[in-house]
Amino acid sequence: MQALEYFLIPWLDLKLLFLVAAGTFAGIYIGAIPGLSVTMAVSILIGFTFTWDVYPALCLMVGIFMGGVYGGSRTAILLNIPGAPAAIATAMDGYPLAQKGLAGEAIGIATVMSFVGGLIGIAVLAIAAPTVSEFALTFQPRDYMLLALLGILLVGSLSGESLIKGIFAGAMGLLIGTVGMDPLTAEERFTFGFTQLWGGISFIAVMIGMFGVSEALAQLHHIDKQAVKQKIGRIVPNWSSVRKYLPLSLQTSSIGVIIGALPGTGGDIAALMAYDHAKRVTKNPEVPFGQGAKEGLVAPETANNAAVGGAFIPMLTLGIPGDAVTAIMIGALFIHGLNPGPMLMIDQPQMFWFITGALMLANIFMLIFGLTGIRIFTKIVEMPRSVLIPLILLLSIVGSYAVNNSITDVYWMLAFGVLGYFMKTYGYQLGPVILGVILSRLLDDNWRRAILSENGSLAGLFKGILTSPLSLVLFTMVVLIFVSQTPVWRRLRRKAGIPATSHDQDTTGSGA
Amino acid sequence: MHDKRKRSAGELGFNGLLFLGSLILLWNAYKISGFESLSSPGSLPMAVAFAMVVSSGLILLENFRTPDRDGTVFLRDILPPVIIVMMLFIAGYAVLLVPLGFLPTSFLFLFLSILYLQRGGLVFAVSVSLFALICVYVVFRVIFTVLMPAGIVPEGEILAAIGRFFGGAN
Repeated sequence: MQALEYFLIPWLDLKLLFLVAAGTFAGIYIGAIPGLSVTMAVSILIGFTFTWDVYPALCLMVGIFMGGVYGGSRTAILLNIPGAPAAIATAMDGYPLAQKGLAGEAIGIATVMSFVGGLIGIAVLAIAAPTVSEFALTFQPRDYMLLALLGILLVGSLSGESLIKGIFAGAMGLLIGTVGMDPLTAEERFTFGFTQLWGGISFIAVMIGMFGVSEALAQLHHIDKQAVKQKIGRIVPNWSSVRKYLPLSLQTSSIGVIIGALPGTGGDIAALMAYDHAKRVTKNPEVPFGQGAKEGLVAPETANNAAVGGAFIPMLTLGIPGDAVTAIMIGALFIHGLNPGPMLMIDQPQMFWFITGALMLANIFMLIFGLTGIRIFTKIVEMPRSVLIPLILLLSIVGSYAVNNSITDVYWMLAFGVLGYFMKTYGYQLGPVILGVILSRLLDDNWRRAILSENGSLAGLFKGILTSPLSLVLFTMVVLIFVSQTPVWRRLRRKAGIPATSHDQDTTGSGA
Repeated sequence: MHDKRKRSAGELGFNGLLFLGSLILLWNAYKISGFESLSSPGSLPMAVAFAMVVSSGLILLENFRTPDRDGTVFLRDILPPVIIVMMLFIAGYAVLLVPLGFLPTSFLFLFLSILYLQRGGLVFAVSVSLFALICVYVVFRVIFTVLMPAGIVPEGEILAAIGRFFGGAN
């Protein structure tokens, strides 16, 4: 009963209600405008909302997250440009539908199905998270250490062209996180004699640089690309077509929640897997896949929104982010003095139920805004990049300055922006960097705790890992990721006929 | 996961720099506490710096072994003039932000970059940057109450005056 009370806080407070609505509305547009991404928006927003109370700040960010994941589908359908990585699969059948003049119908189905997916994701979050966090209390420091490693490795291996570049990016993030005074011994690490570095590098500066500035710089390559206009008819789908796809949407939602809940995997991978699943289970589609099959639209759209609820499970119960966006959300929680992890559910259950309530509310607003206001939408999406990019850069600078009122942070942000731009250009993933920065402290603490509890013996640690079922599973997964990158595995995959998941390097908006 | 890709312009140099940087960081990590114990403050930094050296070394090696170039030109495809100019603009913005203050610097930045990216259209650039600046200012300064460097514009006094004006009108 108490839980319900906390759950309803954002529903009953007019200000919070408005903030969730505003966040969702903004999120839909941010997700839809090619060149703006949820990661970018949330990281810049942390800089502006850190003076707020935690409730309103969370409302705004939850709304943007939910709206943004959905918003990417709009441009995927209308322009064949996924506004966010999670919408890559949506474009495969969504754009052909638009070409046939069925853009309105496609958007309508995508919206309703995103709502269904979101609903299931949140339901699973509400049911599973308390159990997971109880289970997480039995975790040893070595398990946390392995989980953190697993998360970084998964993001590194799944989101880019090579694991080795992912490892480099993750290690770099971890190293950035260690800069400053060691929290345990006050020893200086990587300060190079500068007192300014004692407090470490602000992770917000790193985030905004990597996802704001570097993305904006990369967008300059496409400055002259023109948006294609589409005619949009009826949007609200009829009940019969919703009912027809409901069974499929339930299946793909479960895929979405599970993939979303795995550390390191987010909506983009969930969507691709769901698309693959739909292709396998739909025996006789009315229209072949890739040419405008509605199944191909339903599957990724339910899955990527279901993944949002899923992604919050490891984030809130273990403190391990599922992808770049949740990594940034964790950063936001840190800023507000919260410490996501199993203790959050015990010490501050209201925070968990509040977030769940806000997510649910955002999901409803997404449905409302998704089915209305399409005409203004097409206007906003056509905003020229020559205006958009300077604005992103301006907000990046203001956002990074505002956190500590420090110009040093702005310089760091710019430096990471330029570094991120080159890393992106040469095929390095930026998601692992952010995960590394966020998880650095957790990894450092738990590694030292784990090794101290074994009296500094590495053999003792390994013995511990091999004798505990949980540690063994995690350890095996870490090893498997390395094995999966060896030529033997790739040959096996090719034999089995599984295509390698490739990500369009040109997709606008950067997610994981 | 491409099986083989060609080398882009400047890629070898960039990977080389990353490798060099990783080596320097590893040396610095070693200096924190050396091989004192596995739980010393330098252990994680050393481990991750080592991972950086190994991974960047492998990337560099693989890169070195692929002589095929993909036909990209560094100053055209990787770092075209438009990106250099915008990098300079933001660097200039960051430098001028504190001495000049938020409003004039932001206006200057928006105006110049829109003018440059749009290739002309003076009226468009002025009006759009003014409008955008007002929106940004209202949203972030007034709603989000973010403190920005005031610089040469007596922003506080102006805000107070506006407040008094409306306060008095009521």
